[in-house]
Amino acid sequence: MTARDERAPWLTLKMREAMEAWLFISPTLAGFLIFFVGPLCAVVWYSLTEWNLLSQQSVFVGLDNYDDALFHNLDFWQVVRNSIVFAIGLVPLNMALALALALALSRRFAGVVFFRTVFFAPVVTSAVAWAIVWKFLLQGEAGFVNQMLAGIGIHGPNWLREPDWAMVAVIVTRVIKMVGLNMILYIAALQAIPRDYEAAARLEGASNWQIFRMITWPLLGPTTLVIMVITTIGSFKVFDHIYLMTGGGPENGTLVLAFYIYQQGFQFFDVGYASALAMIMFVIVMGLTVVQLALRRRDT
Amino acid sequence: MKSVLKSITLSMLALGMMSSALAAAELRFTVWTGNEAHLAMLNGIAESFRETHPDVTVRFETIPAGDYTQKLTFQLAGGNPPDAGWMMEDAASTFANAGVLEDLAPTLNAAEGYDLADFSEPAMGLWGADGKVWGVPFSTSPFVIFYNKDMFDKAGLEDPLALAAKGEWDMETFQEVAKALAEATGKWGFEFKDGQGYDTRIMHALMPPIRAYGGDVWANQECGFDKPEAIAAVQQLHDMTFKDKSIVPPGENGDYFSGNSAMTINQISRASLMPDAGFNWGIAPLPTGPGGEAPVIGQAAIVVFTAGRQKELAAAFVAHMTNEANVAKMAQFFPPARNSVLSSEAFTASNNLIPAEQMEVVGNAIANGKVLPSHERSPQLLAAMKPRVDALWRADANVEESLKTVCAAIQPLL
Repeated sequence: MTARDERAPWLTLKMREAMEAWLFISPTLAGFLIFFVGPLCAVVWYSLTEWNLLSQQSVFVGLDNYDDALFHNLDFWQVVRNSIVFAIGLVPLNMALALALALALSRRFAGVVFFRTVFFAPVVTSAVAWAIVWKFLLQGEAGFVNQMLAGIGIHGPNWLREPDWAMVAVIVTRVIKMVGLNMILYIAALQAIPRDYEAAARLEGASNWQIFRMITWPLLGPTTLVIMVITTIGSFKVFDHIYLMTGGGPENGTLVLAFYIYQQGFQFFDVGYASALAMIMFVIVMGLTVVQLALRRRDT
Repeated sequence: MKSVLKSITLSMLALGMMSSALAAAELRFTVWTGNEAHLAMLNGIAESFRETHPDVTVRFETIPAGDYTQKLTFQLAGGNPPDAGWMMEDAASTFANAGVLEDLAPTLNAAEGYDLADFSEPAMGLWGADGKVWGVPFSTSPFVIFYNKDMFDKAGLEDPLALAAKGEWDMETFQEVAKALAEATGKWGFEFKDGQGYDTRIMHALMPPIRAYGGDVWANQECGFDKPEAIAAVQQLHDMTFKDKSIVPPGENGDYFSGNSAMTINQISRASLMPDAGFNWGIAPLPTGPGGEAPVIGQAAIVVFTAGRQKELAAAFVAHMTNEANVAKMAQFFPPARNSVLSSEAFTASNNLIPAEQMEVVGNAIANGKVLPSHERSPQLLAAMKPRVDALWRADANVEESLKTVCAAIQPLL
């Protein structure tokens, strides 16, 4: 009998291993509970109260906040619509552009590193600087973009002052900012596809399009799913970009969920209502993710 | 024996240090200025407080103006309130209503030689009721017209100060002059305050002309945007922006301080930017309108927070900071609300950037002006107004209809 067994004869090897495992993961688990699960539970509780951040007065109101948001607040549905339009505009554009760039830049040629860096640079650029520069470029008639358009005979709109064009502007500038990240993920996935498949297909006389459709695209499936999920979640969470470029305007045309939650909580000090909206956003994003995963499972 | 003595000495020393630490206190005071001259003046006032409170120091903490009210709220909500601080007029009602501001009346009334009645009554309007005082205004700053003298000369026009002296500076002349300036210089005739009249400074853009026309944005819990006076005033601004093309339109940049607009509306604290502007300039009163003279005043006050741990001491410091001598000192940057200081020659000579006759414009505006409106639900009101006002600033907008939708949106909140 070993010394250890003498100290704790009631512990089986399995129990000891389990205990050690729990000990090893406990720091991460503690962080997860304190900084994720705890706040999440707190938000659920706050969403059932009317809590004024400034006066610190809190009253339990049950589901009133949810009832108000879902059935009585007309702004809320415009905000949800804006968030969906933003996501529908951003996700396909971002993914298509990322894939196109990845296809062009996944092969080795002189200057490839330079181009990859150029397209990835906006990802690491400060969001504040990015938004301010674009806001400047997208000014009315005197703006750089409209000056360029005027040069080719096009009268550009007042980008950030017309609701529909403002949405287009925030989507496109966001895509340019973030496309580099998805491009890198696609490049990694493309480089992981064995060259033999393409060589074999060529021997069989397959065209580029056929190779892409029958070999590359299916093999990119798991990566595409990951990209689609994270880009969709990111598009619903967008805040800084909207805050800096349009402040939700004009005419609430770019007022998206995350910004609306911020407005309720930190400008109107209504933390209870903001928490209820955050829970609704959580359910929407979770629902979309589950649907995407289910669709993928069905396809495979 | 030696070690016993050593321990006694050390204990005494430690106790002595603890007691001096207990007597010494530091007040944390939040401000939104980072200007060195402002801070030097404030530190001077804090230093003079030590004559009566030798162990008290005051630390001025700068929070940028754009984030000020929000960060202050976070500090209060997070249980880390400053002892005292500046507060903007639009936050006054919200904070007072939430019960987070300390009543300063007992301390101010008890302070030796402090004459609370010396503060002009309209200036105190936002900051107290029923004998309670939640804040002491330190800056009662009227909106004035800043003009680029060089651009007026180039266009061969009389400047607003000269026109005002002749009694000809009214809304009609303002429109004509702005148009003539834009045509003659190829730049803009007028820019809203800090170029933010379509975003964060909607009220600063609309309020002065509406009052000049004899209207108000709201009064007695009733929206005033859809009244004929307001409609006429906003229609004029709309025409100037889209027909005359003399006001910098939404989405364009026409910074007055860089010489891209001939006129702007602002407060005299912005005069500190003028030495670097590189052109001759002046200030003039706001143009009069069918409603007569209607100066508009922006305001800021000093408040003490109920949640602060040193409320009495902070209130005593506010009493010191706003006594007659210190208000006179602050007047070089922040127009005072004390009648005694306002009427003194020292005030008109207090700002070395602005000539005495132009400072009289400031003094008159304070005496006759009306403070910008405040409301306990100001943030909600502004958010409800914003999208409807956005719709107003389209070239093809129907001003009257747009203003009616503004009223429909804010009336339930009033």
